[in-house]
Amino acid sequence: MNGHVKNMHFQQFMETAATLLSLLLLMTVDSTKTVAASTNQQCGNLLQQTLKITRIVHKESGDLIKTYKAAQGEMSELFCKVSVNDIPDPNISGLDPPARIASIYTHLQAFLPHFKRVYKQQTDLQSPGSPLLKELTRVWDRTESLASFINTFYQSLFPNLPIPEPAGGPTTLPPAQNVFQQKVYGCVVLKTYKDFMSNVSKELRNIKSKVCTKRTPINAF
Amino acid sequence: KIISSNIKCQWEAVGHQTEAVPTNYTLKLSSTSFFSDKIFTASILGPVNNTTIDLNFFPNHMELEIWVVAQNELGKEESEHLIKPANCFVKTKPPSVAVISEAVFPTCLVMNWTSINKIYLETIYEIRFCPLGSQKWFYVPLADTSSYIQSFRLQNLQPDTVYVTQVRCKYNKKHCGYWSDWSSNVTERTPEDLPKSKPDVWIITSEEGINKRQIEFICKDPEFSNGRIRRFNITIEKQKDSIRNGTWEIIPVNRSLTDGSSSKKQITPLITILLDDEESVTVYVTAINSVGASPQAKLIISPKTRGKCPLEKMEVQSHNGQLFLSWKPPNRTVSDFEYVVEWVSDGERNWQREDGKTTYTAIKGDLEKFVHYRISVYPIYGKLVGKPVHVHAYFEQGVPSQGPSVNLSGDPGCYTAKLEWDEIPLIKRRGFITNYTIYYRSGTETRGITVPSNTTSYTLTSLSRNTKYDIWIKASTIRGSVNGSNHSFTTLKYAPGEIEGIVVGVSLGFLFVVLMTMLLCFCKKDVIKDNFWPQIPNPGDSTIGNWSPDYPLKAEAPRENCLSGISVLNVDVCDAKCVFEEDKASLPLKKDKYLSEEHSSGIGGSSCMSSPRQSVSDSDEGGDMADTTASTIQYSSVVASSGYKGQNPSSLPQQSIFSRSESTQPLLDCEENHDTMVQEGSRQCFLRQPCFTHNAGNENATDSNDFNPLEMEQQEVLDFCSLEEDTEHTAPADCQSDDWIPAPVSSYMPQLGGYRPQ
Repeated sequence: MNGHVKNMHFQQFMETAATLLSLLLLMTVDSTKTVAASTNQQCGNLLQQTLKITRIVHKESGDLIKTYKAAQGEMSELFCKVSVNDIPDPNISGLDPPARIASIYTHLQAFLPHFKRVYKQQTDLQSPGSPLLKELTRVWDRTESLASFINTFYQSLFPNLPIPEPAGGPTTLPPAQNVFQQKVYGCVVLKTYKDFMSNVSKELRNIKSKVCTKRTPINAF
Repeated sequence: KIISSNIKCQWEAVGHQTEAVPTNYTLKLSSTSFFSDKIFTASILGPVNNTTIDLNFFPNHMELEIWVVAQNELGKEESEHLIKPANCFVKTKPPSVAVISEAVFPTCLVMNWTSINKIYLETIYEIRFCPLGSQKWFYVPLADTSSYIQSFRLQNLQPDTVYVTQVRCKYNKKHCGYWSDWSSNVTERTPEDLPKSKPDVWIITSEEGINKRQIEFICKDPEFSNGRIRRFNITIEKQKDSIRNGTWEIIPVNRSLTDGSSSKKQITPLITILLDDEESVTVYVTAINSVGASPQAKLIISPKTRGKCPLEKMEVQSHNGQLFLSWKPPNRTVSDFEYVVEWVSDGERNWQREDGKTTYTAIKGDLEKFVHYRISVYPIYGKLVGKPVHVHAYFEQGVPSQGPSVNLSGDPGCYTAKLEWDEIPLIKRRGFITNYTIYYRSGTETRGITVPSNTTSYTLTSLSRNTKYDIWIKASTIRGSVNGSNHSFTTLKYAPGEIEGIVVGVSLGFLFVVLMTMLLCFCKKDVIKDNFWPQIPNPGDSTIGNWSPDYPLKAEAPRENCLSGISVLNVDVCDAKCVFEEDKASLPLKKDKYLSEEHSSGIGGSSCMSSPRQSVSDSDEGGDMADTTASTIQYSSVVASSGYKGQNPSSLPQQSIFSRSESTQPLLDCEENHDTMVQEGSRQCFLRQPCFTHNAGNENATDSNDFNPLEMEQQEVLDFCSLEEDTEHTAPADCQSDDWIPAPVSSYMPQLGGYRPQ
């Protein structure tokens, strides 16, 4: 076999290899798109679910206030207007989406002890079969589930970013209160929570376009 | 509304189960989305295969994992894990529906409903509706309701129609969730609208006198009335009037509010007119509801004689619960051509219109079974009513509900009886009668005769006389037969006139017999008289007179005071028989009378006193002697002659001695036999008894002029001594005695002239 023939074989081999490599590259790029697309879809679904749950909680918190006021008797309209300390801020903090999502999660966690206290106080103030207690329980449970869902959402978006701890440490509860104070306290907590949920709904709608629609690398943040 | 926090799960046990080894089922539920690793459980002991888990709240939009663990003493097994969004396990309650109508949209209904909040469960819906009374639902396409909506507008509905509506809902995710139950019925009527079609105008024609017909116009509501018809407007235009009348007559409709779902339209009578057979009219009708008037309907009634060619070959057939018609179309048609199929029964009339190309159709009305219908098909040539073709039919035939009642026509005879019966009333006939069967029974024998259905009378023959028969008639249709009422009659024992004939015959026969008997009696009266009432001579009444032939026989007229006429029959011995055989009536009795010197007395006493008379036997005399005593019987005189006949005086004196007697008694047998012997020519002797006396002086008495009755009386009464019977046969011998005067051979003939009462 002469060299000319050898060269021919080598060239053919190279051509074949190049073709295969091109195809492989193309498939890799395409799979990347698919992964990205599926990732975006999962992000969108998850975000959508989170948004829906947020809306439910927001609605139920508004219904809860009505029920609460109706259960407190006279002057209940005035209770929510009183200023109370040591209530979580209803505003979401953070500059970027991960921080803001983390803020949502920490705020939800901060409200849970207050819900528990209000439930406990109202248990003493209301009859056992009061619908207020049932609704409080429901909202409380949904808040827990929402927090868990936000955490799952955050983890899916930012798996390598741990959720930061809330600034200022754990939530502190106010000292013992009298009945009037309890009523005021409970109304203020629920109203603040409702405002917070409204902010969460808006936030989730805002970050949807930022975290799920673009081809964003998984490790962008 | 929120979703219940209780989730009910149901499973199916697989494999053999036994109560000896009970199985414990544990329902498990978890959600990694919100409950972390928390698992909710609910346990139940088999064979129960369902249980419920309470989650405190329903985890909307979160994914759940549900499975069942079965465990018993022998082991444990897990079911497949159902991993689905929580909403997929939701079966919602049906929505609460409200329906409203809008006057400006008569073909629409707006449906509104409330269901679960969208934030909990976004649902899709399914809507269906149907006209009230109908079983057929109309479904709104799912594509039109596959979103979270709370209202829907139903369109293209019929105005003035009540509709029933229903809604149900489901989680809007595909292959996920359970449809709720249908909501409860909600009904609403669509508003009225203008009638969209013409009223259906038709006619009822009947004869009214000569060359006149009565036409009643009737009308059905338009097919698309779109509301309750409140009145009809009608105007009639007669053809002879070139100008249209233009007068609209309003016919109000008194009818209760009816819904539009009624399939049977009511028929409204409009107006009735009288029309000459040669006249033609055009009628225009509109129907008015609350919104407005319908398009105008037109119908032309042509002159009776100018009806166009009728249809041909019309046939009716019942099939699959319907009555089908077929016919051959006419040769000539117009562009605007159609048919009207009419069916009429007792008290019901209806019609339907068919396209001009139709030759086979079914009657769309509700036909009743066993009811007779007269079905007609009218061709309509451009609104002009043509001549119809009729046929009679039953939607379904049955057995008649009653049989014909039979009666006798007149009186039955001995061998025949005429029956007649009325046709079964149409309302009870329930079918076409195929034939009648006449049954008649006497005793145990029953006979039947089948006659055609067009027969209403029949004469039974070959019956037995004086026999009771039971008769009844069976009417038959294709479905069966029914017997009519029984009737009994008895045939005559005797035919009419038979008794009279018998009576007359017997009477005539009897009369004939009587007459014959009478005639016979009359002819044989003498025999009868002799047999039944023999005359026994009374010797006291008899007289015997002797005279001698010496005395001339004078043919003198008898004196009035002489004895009654005594006829003398001179019979020649030889001619005795001949004479005897002659007709006694024709025997010429001479009128010469012999006046006896004697005159009889006794029975013929009166004759003694009377003037001499001629012989009773003188037929010429007639009944002169009848004036005398009725019971006088004259004996015949024995006349001995030898060729001497008659009583004319003869120059030849006679030597015979004659004795005669007048007696009312008939001759005895011996006398007759004695006479018979004389006739035979034997020598006769007459016993001259001492009792017989004869006075010569009496001979002079024969002179009528010298006849003196007193002298006669002085004469001795003639006594007649009857000969004894024993002497009858020996008489001739005795004639030899001296007492016997030999008499010449003579013949003694009783006077055959018959008895004549004097």
